Amino acid sequence: MYQEKEDYQSWICDKCQKELELTKVKVHYLEGEFEVELLNCPTCHQVFINESLALGKMAEVEQGLEDK
Amino acid sequence: MRRVISKTQSLCPVCLKKIPAIKWNENNETYMEKSCPEHGRFKTLLWRGSIPMENWVRNKVRARINNPNTTVDKGCPYDCGLCEDHRQHTCTALIEVTQNCNLNCSFCFANAEGNWQQDLSWETIDTMYKSVMQTSGKCNIQLSGGEPTLRDDLPEIIKMGHEIGFPFIQVNTNGIRLGEDENYVKLLKEAGMDSVFLQFDGTNNQIFKKLRGKPLLEIKIKALENCQKYGIGVVLVPTLVSGINDQDIGNIIDFALKWIPTVKGVHFQPVSYFGRIPDLPENKKRITLGEVMDRIEEQTDSKFKVQDFNPPGCENALCSFHGNYIYQKNNELMTLKRNVSCCGSEKAEEGASKTKAYIASKWSGNQAENDQFEEKNNTEKIISRGFDEILDRINRYSFTLSAMAFQDAWNLDLERVKDCCIHVVNARGQLIPFCMYNLTNTEGQSLYRGQ
Repeated sequence: MYQEKEDYQSWICDKCQKELELTKVKVHYLEGEFEVELLNCPTCHQVFINESLALGKMAEVEQGLEDK
Repeated sequence: MRRVISKTQSLCPVCLKKIPAIKWNENNETYMEKSCPEHGRFKTLLWRGSIPMENWVRNKVRARINNPNTTVDKGCPYDCGLCEDHRQHTCTALIEVTQNCNLNCSFCFANAEGNWQQDLSWETIDTMYKSVMQTSGKCNIQLSGGEPTLRDDLPEIIKMGHEIGFPFIQVNTNGIRLGEDENYVKLLKEAGMDSVFLQFDGTNNQIFKKLRGKPLLEIKIKALENCQKYGIGVVLVPTLVSGINDQDIGNIIDFALKWIPTVKGVHFQPVSYFGRIPDLPENKKRITLGEVMDRIEEQTDSKFKVQDFNPPGCENALCSFHGNYIYQKNNELMTLKRNVSCCGSEKAEEGASKTKAYIASKWSGNQAENDQFEEKNNTEKIISRGFDEILDRINRYSFTLSAMAFQDAWNLDLERVKDCCIHVVNARGQLIPFCMYNLTNTEGQSLYRGQ
């Protein structure tokens, strides 16, 4: 879906062919809602989360918000 | 007409013999009724509130005790230790390091007072810790009493527990010494005390005078200041007594919110009738979990709502409720709620593991800085920083409202006992479910304490 160009900063949205930009995005998990900066497409607004973030800090946040 | 909702087994409050019991509903109230051939009938209020007791469920697939300390002989609750019939692992093991106390409260499950009893030796405490490790592994430890801070060697006892391998050690205290002796607080912190379970019955001295015999509000505040100074997490623990502090629930919560992030939550304990009690229980004076949830909503102007709360995943559903929140930068509370009652059965063992981890992470003091994962460039740094801020908020600004209803000889349900995860360690290293350890009959005689 996305093509990597030269480095991490240059990701292109496959659908819109636009370079992804860092913008503030609302993330929801359970009842929690937070605002963070993530790469997304300026046209279709699809957000890109790479593997290390998904399995790292994002998973940690999810765990922190989960009930006992 | 009465509608019987379930049958269970209980004990006679006079002779402590096992007898059958029924639970039935009348209007919004649920009662237990039981009859001893020798001592007659007993009818006790179990639940009152907007959520019916029948709806307060969380089904679990029982856990099995890997290394039982006792064999099944007379049947529950006479074989505690834990026996192989017990259905839940230890979440918190409680060690009473002293029976002495600097207060003489009207209600005291340990019936502690004075300064005349021999404290447990280090050798005995070492044996107790090791027995817990063998039976229950790395559970959470609560050092209690009596008043544990009367012991000058409490820091050494904490160190001993950590060296044996327990990751989370909490001290259950009235806070007097923590308020009076800052250096002692420093020593406890250095020894690795992770959290303080602070007796905190109200926001005015009339309440403390009635329940504890002394005006203690100022010294409790001093204790909080000292814990704040040394980065120690505190849970406020009010004993709720009808007509004394049940109208102060909202004020206690407001007080707690002002002390975030030092205060990690409020854990209400409706009074139970065991140990030292001023009078035998009356149904009209009972405070049940259903009502505590309702009163939290009423007395906080719905800032906290009944619907925020879940039954526990660790102990029996009827033993507690809890609600989890995050205190946000704009001073608003974010409610974290997952509907758990609709999802079939969960494994009791997993509930115990999650609860141990939750308490250790959310009730501790200063959290370590989050590890920085390897960032490749500026973009990743910015993204990472955003998630670090969220993690910091979750770790340091989590707030829990919870309550636990202990069982006495009148409202005892042996099904709940079998699911218990809070176990008192006796000097022989046996683990006794908390309510069974403290249970006393109408004459004040114990089933386990002192035996």
